[in-house]
Amino acid sequence: MTTVAPAHQPGTQAAMRTPGGPRPVELSWAPSSHARRLLTLALAGLVIAVTARRAEFAAVAAPALLLLATWRQDRPRSVLVSTTLTASRMVEGEYAAIRVTLSGAGRHTVDLRIEPASAIMPGEQDTAGVPFTAAHWGERAVGALEITLRDRWRLSEGRATIPLPRINCYPLPAHQSTRVVLSRLPSRLGEHAARVHGEGTEFAGVREFVPGDRQRRINWPATTRRGSLQLNTFAAERVQNVVVLADATADVGSPGSTTLDLVYRGAAATIRAYLASRDRVGFIQYGNQLSWIAPATGRRQFHRVMDAMLAQPGGWDARSAISRLPRAALPPGALIIVFSPLLDRRLVETLRDLRERGFTLLIIDVLNAVPEGGRDHAAALARRIWRMEQQAIRFSLRELGIPVVHWDGEQSLDEPLAPYTRRMMVSRR
Amino acid sequence: MRATSGRAPGDRAGAPADPGRPPDGAPAPRLTPRVRSSAAAGLLAAACIAWAAIPVSGGGTGTRPALVVAIGCAALTLARLAAGDWVPPAGIFENVILRTGRMLLEVLRAIPWAEGTVIAVLALEALHPSRPWHTGLLGVALLAFLFAVHLAESDARPAVLRPQLPVLAAGLGLLVLGCGAALLPAAGMSAASGWLRVFAVAAAIVAGALALPI
Repeated sequence: MTTVAPAHQPGTQAAMRTPGGPRPVELSWAPSSHARRLLTLALAGLVIAVTARRAEFAAVAAPALLLLATWRQDRPRSVLVSTTLTASRMVEGEYAAIRVTLSGAGRHTVDLRIEPASAIMPGEQDTAGVPFTAAHWGERAVGALEITLRDRWRLSEGRATIPLPRINCYPLPAHQSTRVVLSRLPSRLGEHAARVHGEGTEFAGVREFVPGDRQRRINWPATTRRGSLQLNTFAAERVQNVVVLADATADVGSPGSTTLDLVYRGAAATIRAYLASRDRVGFIQYGNQLSWIAPATGRRQFHRVMDAMLAQPGGWDARSAISRLPRAALPPGALIIVFSPLLDRRLVETLRDLRERGFTLLIIDVLNAVPEGGRDHAAALARRIWRMEQQAIRFSLRELGIPVVHWDGEQSLDEPLAPYTRRMMVSRR
Repeated sequence: MRATSGRAPGDRAGAPADPGRPPDGAPAPRLTPRVRSSAAAGLLAAACIAWAAIPVSGGGTGTRPALVVAIGCAALTLARLAAGDWVPPAGIFENVILRTGRMLLEVLRAIPWAEGTVIAVLALEALHPSRPWHTGLLGVALLAFLFAVHLAESDARPAVLRPQLPVLAAGLGLLVLGCGAALLPAAGMSAASGWLRVFAVAAAIVAGALALPI
């Protein structure tokens, strides 16, 4: 059964990132390992002194015993702790920190340490808090905060562990500074110079002056040459609708740079690049379920899309049969940029359908892995057949007029897109 | 209309991270107190063992086993400090080597190797003929070793021991007092005479401790 639903609304999780005010935390006290070692030294010295009748060993025990004699019982049963994450969301490899406010510790020294959850790497405690980073994107549990109180003699330790909130770790966007722009843009004010004349700032040519034109646009050198009033014309500036389609049906390849990692990192880069040029960007996640976010502009849209990426797990389900994308997710004349390893036949059929519906598509192929198997002749033959099938899929898409470029995940996205970013991409109906 | 200012959304990350360079906001790499204290603990352990063992031939029966145990415990103490809080990455499909490594790490953390080092070094010293000033110096070194281990374990700077300095100084004074008392000639060679000397030294230490304004 296929579920088609719009992606969840943003802001619902961000509010849960910072827990409430200070709360009492019970401490469990025990002798420190330092105290146990001092006790061992004292007892060993005394035992040897008595059994071997060697008085100097009693002297060896004296400093340890004197240090142990400073043991005090005045220690807090509980402390008030409040924890705050410095960021409600982060990017892979970026550092965030947990700010801890602790009161009621008296003269005890406080040590804070993160017991990390999976893929979380804690840093060293500093004045700003306890830093940590996430090695991989996802909605992650940070782990637990271990609080250790030590008395000034460091003989007893009070420990408490409090769970930490979860954090959204976004995929690290790849590098992309150029953009593919369609030759035909919708008539909405934007930043891309269109082919039609308008009120933009990019010079388009000169034409004869007609009454009603603005005099400040008269091109005097051209007027002198031609003998009649000539007017500068400018290109209209239009916005572009871009829909990024992320194929989450497959996750193959080496850990850390699987096809799903590359899909999300590439999609994040493209979304960021187009939003930076004030374009309207939408997002479709194609996986077990289909979720989408309608095109919009701004930073908020970026976070909305990133949250949607993390909300839906990737995967493949033989029962799902998505072959047509909803009309609401695809504004007319939009450029559809597809990040996919092209391993799912249903997606290939969907792309063909989109092309037949007149959309302009650009596929970024992120497949960098080949099936592993034996080294015998049959396995090699199977791999060769598989490779030929993949080539055939890409060839058939190119035959339909859908450009397919390959991206290895390490180079900048500008490189594979260079043939399409140098000039406007012609949108064919 | 052109974009004139402002960073792109999510621009905090920028280009993919350079593996050789810590990301923005990461603490700069430096020699941590843990490393310094671990090195000090290693040197002090080696010094204690060497001091207690020399001369190896001059010790009684069991000197060599005690020496081996002391060296082993000291090495494992250092291994424990080096392991710190490191947790090996967990996987579903672990081979025998990884599982054995994980088990050994748990054993390394469970057994108090530093205490074993202290006991073995004291036993090594006790196997040699009586030499009070020598034992006194060994006591000072063992105390320093224990403090170094504690600093390495808790990743703390030596400054945290400042409140203990008066007590530590008084303790070292008692140690000198005890060793001095042990250097006094015995009244006889009998067992009772030996115990009497031990109790006399202990009484001197207790009296000194009670007189301390701590």
